[in-house]
Amino acid sequence: MSPFAEVQLVTARELRKSFRSVKGIVLAAVSLAGGAGVAMLFAWLDRVQRENMPAGLDVHDAQEQFFARWYGPNTGKRLADCPYSLWMMLIGTLWLAPLLVALLDFDAVSGELQHRSVRFWTVRVRRSSYMLGKYFGAWISVLVVTFGMNVIVWVATAAVGGLPVSTVLGWGVRFFAVSIPIGAAWCGIATLVGSQVKTPMLSLLFIFATFFGLWLLRVVAGFSQAEWLAYLYPNIYDDFLLSPRAADVAKGLLGTGLIAGLTVAAATAIFERRDV
Amino acid sequence: MDSHAIRVAGLTKRFGPKTAVDAVTLTVGTGSVYGLIGPNGAGKTTTFSMLAGYLRPTEGSVEVLGFAPTAVDALRSRLGVLPQDAILPASDRVGEFLFHMARLQDLPHAKALEAAHTALDDVDGRAWWDQRCGSLSHGMAKRVALAQAFLGQPELVLLDEPTAGLDPRVAWEMRQLIRAKKGSRGGRCTIVISSHNLQELEEICDGAAILDRGRLVASGSMAELTAANEEVRFLVAAGTRRGTDPGKVPLSPIRDLPTVASVDFDDEGLELVVSFKRQEADAETVIGQVLTILLQNRVRISGVTKGRGLEQRVMDLT
Repeated sequence: MSPFAEVQLVTARELRKSFRSVKGIVLAAVSLAGGAGVAMLFAWLDRVQRENMPAGLDVHDAQEQFFARWYGPNTGKRLADCPYSLWMMLIGTLWLAPLLVALLDFDAVSGELQHRSVRFWTVRVRRSSYMLGKYFGAWISVLVVTFGMNVIVWVATAAVGGLPVSTVLGWGVRFFAVSIPIGAAWCGIATLVGSQVKTPMLSLLFIFATFFGLWLLRVVAGFSQAEWLAYLYPNIYDDFLLSPRAADVAKGLLGTGLIAGLTVAAATAIFERRDV
Repeated sequence: MDSHAIRVAGLTKRFGPKTAVDAVTLTVGTGSVYGLIGPNGAGKTTTFSMLAGYLRPTEGSVEVLGFAPTAVDALRSRLGVLPQDAILPASDRVGEFLFHMARLQDLPHAKALEAAHTALDDVDGRAWWDQRCGSLSHGMAKRVALAQAFLGQPELVLLDEPTAGLDPRVAWEMRQLIRAKKGSRGGRCTIVISSHNLQELEEICDGAAILDRGRLVASGSMAELTAANEEVRFLVAAGTRRGTDPGKVPLSPIRDLPTVASVDFDDEGLELVVSFKRQEADAETVIGQVLTILLQNRVRISGVTKGRGLEQRVMDLT
């Protein structure tokens, strides 16, 4: 049996488990309901803002200036015409991603280590396939939930915001695509940290502590000479991934890919050597 | 085909300063049922866990069906394991869990489904297919775990305390199942059982290894371990003494039998122990000869056993 087939089977089971467990259903429901509420608010604000825009103000120029201050001139120019509510949703998704990742992934490995259920798998699948299956299971679960939230926002933006569907879908898919590699990086970190302990509650605490630590690193990096520290924080890569320049997008993909790849590789290497 | 399903050489496992298993060397023949015996802390489960690839040896080597236990791809459908304390995934349904395990053994969809149904039928659990693992009783869960161990007719099955916590009837059924499985694969299915239940092991196993404080203190066939092919024991009625008068145990005529090597009578235990020359007679012949003498002398006999019994042997060694 190829490792690919093993990973596929473990991932499929993980997805089934995620969306059937009480935790998974509650998380998905809360996320989707929250997303819907926020979406309606964003879309309504967007419309009100546009309707009450002072005469003579160029929305395009105003947005370009706003985004240029946030991301730099090139990206500012690119985002000048995007629906503001969809961008807000991207920011919301990026902030929510670590929380969602932590809550969905904290017991994926630690729970099976605690109850030694992992022993049913280690005689049948390579440990690397098991860990990769857990990782992909978590990543896809997070993507499904965030995609659901995004779809709600797209619908609300088109319906309440009064924007053309093609505009909403065009920008919506682009913004959602930005969250895919960033989600991959968060899942990699959660998989590495969560698989080191045998107690799910400790796993949850350690994952949150690590995520908070990475955010602190980003903050510290802003005030220190060691600016590179900021690149350990996955959400920093939205700057690159939103850029119109291919080289910047490649950098963003490389950064998030490196975080995801290295953390999953480390989790696998440790798991290969540990006693279960 | 290799005549040994398991080869262990100098196997050692240390947890920090504590040595749980110390230089254990043993082999398990293909097609046999082999027991891992010993008191708590003897190193049975640690040895078992190294055989199953759960734990990595600190020193020494383990070969399972000719491969390291971690060679999952080579052993995938050939090795089945019942871990002692692993809990079934609570949210999985029994059928879907067994089907998933069968798929991981590289069985195609239809065959995996069939294997899962067969395995569950074998443990008399057909009705549990749609039940969540988390809702099973201890005995039911144990049987489902046993079903996954025998899934797809593996060549080697490792069972850690397969009947622990089961009621006597279910435990008996499990022993019957293990016996039946022993004969599967044309009698070449090897089963290794780690257990506290010495009576059960003596009943099922062809051979065993006795561990104590991490060390191997004895190993061999069950007949060798219990000395079943070199001594017979007669338990006599209370109040019986040695002597030649009627009703007493006459030692001289028994000692004079050409097949007998030595005779001893335990006055307190009321047990007559007769060691015999196994190249000249088997246990059944000697039992017949000695019984004739005892009955002629009107000795009242309470029981006859071949050898010391595994329990006694383990008590002597550990």
